Amino acid sequence: MSAIKEAINTTTATNTRTGTFQIIVFKQGDEEYALHIDQIKEVVITPAITRMPQTPSYIKGVANIRGNIIAILDLEEKFNLKRSQGSNTENNYTLVVESDDLKMGILVREVPNTLNIGASDFDESVGIINDVNSDGNYIKGIVKYDKRLIIVIDIFKVIDQEMLGSLKKTGVA
Amino acid sequence: MKNKEAEYREIFLAEALENFEAINRLLTQLEKNGQDKNAINALFRITHTLKGNASGMGYSNIAELAHVLEDLFGEMRDGHITVTEEIFSTIFKGVDVLGHLIDAVKEPKEVKFKGIKTKLEVLIKKAKEERENATQTQTENVGVSDLSPFSPDQVNDLAISSSDGAEIPGEADTKLSFSDLVQVPVRKLDNLLNLVGELIIEKDRILASQAGLDMRRSTNEFARLSRISSDLQYSVMDVRLVQVGFLFNKFHRVVRDAASVEKKDVILKLEGTDTEIDRNVLQVISDSLIHLIRNAVGHGIESPADREAAGKPKDGTVWLSAKNDTDAVIIEIRDDGKGLDYDRIKSKAIAKGLLSVEDADKLNEQELSMLIFEPGFSTMDQVTAISGRGVGMDVVKKTLDSIGGTIKVISVKGKGTTLQLTLPSSMAVKSCLLLELQQEVYAIPLSYTESVISLYRSDIHRAGGGLVATHLGKNIAVVFLRDVFAYSNDSLSVTNALQHSFDSIHPETRLEIVVVNFNNRTVGFVVDKLLQQKEIIEKPLMKPVDRIKFISGVTILGTGNVCLVLNIPNLLQFIFNLSSQGRTLKNINLN
Repeated sequence: MSAIKEAINTTTATNTRTGTFQIIVFKQGDEEYALHIDQIKEVVITPAITRMPQTPSYIKGVANIRGNIIAILDLEEKFNLKRSQGSNTENNYTLVVESDDLKMGILVREVPNTLNIGASDFDESVGIINDVNSDGNYIKGIVKYDKRLIIVIDIFKVIDQEMLGSLKKTGVA
Repeated sequence: MKNKEAEYREIFLAEALENFEAINRLLTQLEKNGQDKNAINALFRITHTLKGNASGMGYSNIAELAHVLEDLFGEMRDGHITVTEEIFSTIFKGVDVLGHLIDAVKEPKEVKFKGIKTKLEVLIKKAKEERENATQTQTENVGVSDLSPFSPDQVNDLAISSSDGAEIPGEADTKLSFSDLVQVPVRKLDNLLNLVGELIIEKDRILASQAGLDMRRSTNEFARLSRISSDLQYSVMDVRLVQVGFLFNKFHRVVRDAASVEKKDVILKLEGTDTEIDRNVLQVISDSLIHLIRNAVGHGIESPADREAAGKPKDGTVWLSAKNDTDAVIIEIRDDGKGLDYDRIKSKAIAKGLLSVEDADKLNEQELSMLIFEPGFSTMDQVTAISGRGVGMDVVKKTLDSIGGTIKVISVKGKGTTLQLTLPSSMAVKSCLLLELQQEVYAIPLSYTESVISLYRSDIHRAGGGLVATHLGKNIAVVFLRDVFAYSNDSLSVTNALQHSFDSIHPETRLEIVVVNFNNRTVGFVVDKLLQQKEIIEKPLMKPVDRIKFISGVTILGTGNVCLVLNIPNLLQFIFNLSSQGRTLKNINLN
């Protein structure tokens, strides 16, 4: 098991060296966001979501995906990304992301697509200006591809911040 | 390859821990009765096995220490060492270090063992010197060691054969025997139970989808499926049951240590050790039991002098008993000590500001005794090493809450105290009441529900900031569950937040109310719709929503949808905190 993981790590390492890696791109609001392919387990049609009490509004609830019960997040709400008019499509798909100790779903409207990105197109050292309240370190970098600008994020960093926040909250209550 | 090694390690660990426990048990036995030949033989054999296993796995430090212990027990067996209290405390210390070394296999950490090893070696050396002196004076005599009941080879054989047979001394069984038992890691059992859970859910789903179709045939077909799957479920649950004796036997050592620190003489008596309980329940409560046992020794049992003055036998007794009670297992910790001092509890609670003087006088003994579970409460004026740090009892209570258990205190002054824990015999299946609220399905464990009533809005009255209804002559606080959820979500302190839904509904509306009870707190929750009673398999919440206090877990319904299981203790605590918060707010305003 761990051997396989190491193998994956080394291949990604060599890939970065040779200059390409894969990202999964999905639309959030009018922007394009992307995750590294390693963080994604599968894409499923959004199942019925059960709302949870005591959660921030962008946690839509929990859903049953293949017998696993996982939390479903709406990043558009989390990042405060308004949709422009005309795009009335529902959140039809759920991107299941997984790390060693975390598994959750992210709502997306269209089937996400995979892109091979050259390292030269990936800019990690972007100085992104944040307001004080939103911590921006979940942004890994910006990809320029054709004329598109894609924001690559580390989904688990987003959640780490959220969990710290909820810790504080429960501390108060 | 790596997996294989990990598996061997797991097996080694399981065996080593078992050995370690057996050593402890036998040692305490031996300490009571120094002449117990069987115990010494068993100790020798076990340390020998442990040594062999450890060196086979390459854990040289465990092997070395076990080797020294083995030698020592060998000398004891041959009667070269007269066992004194001092020697026992050294051996116990050695065994403790051995335990740490075994733990270190699981989680690597540095354990110093050379010191204790040398100390043990010195003991052996002394014994050897004495023996040499003895043989020198009687040279014609055969070496004393030859008189031992076993030759070393025979012992080797015994150590290999099954552990049950080997305890009969004298007869060396050279045949290899296979045990009828299989050791299975709990992880695999958990997985099995999860799969069975999913099977049941899947069965329910199919049954639900077939309900509308060809009824007569399908019910027959599915009856068998239902029966087999529920048989399977109970069989798997049965596999997870272990005898409480596994845990109880560890307490000989706990009591011995606690008693020797407190300089008290305490005997531990076990009852009902063959009672069966889910292994996970046992694991969860083991720390709590240690605490309660220590408390019984530290607080309950008096010093030998006090006991004799009170006309009791010098040795205090602590009973640890277990018995089955329909769906639950009752574990009792009973001591014949001095009992709870209610006056002291009362004055302490007032001093700590836990309750007011007027309130204190209204409480009966049962209610007073529950005060010891409040955080930060401890009646001992002096803090001792093993008890009386003021932490623990509230933790015990919380632990029990988390698995749906309860605790009761019965105490008679001068006669002793009994702590009664009621535990679910299995953590996997819960009987629940399903209900609907704002289009979502929730479950309330039946262990908390007292009754289900149906009232008109006009039956419910405003009282202060809350609502009250009378049912069968009892006044019940009524809360709209949706108000609680709404309140916690925006956490804005709206005035009369708990009356919000009440104000907005029609006076003729019929309301479904589930009355829940926990810790003598009774609340009626108004829900949208009552659905059915159902046995569910509760799964824990996963990150990042694992900190939600109102929900203890989830289950999957026949429809494939997720159903949330309400955490009644936390919900009630939240509601009662709200009302006490309101009170303090008002006080500030008045000032």
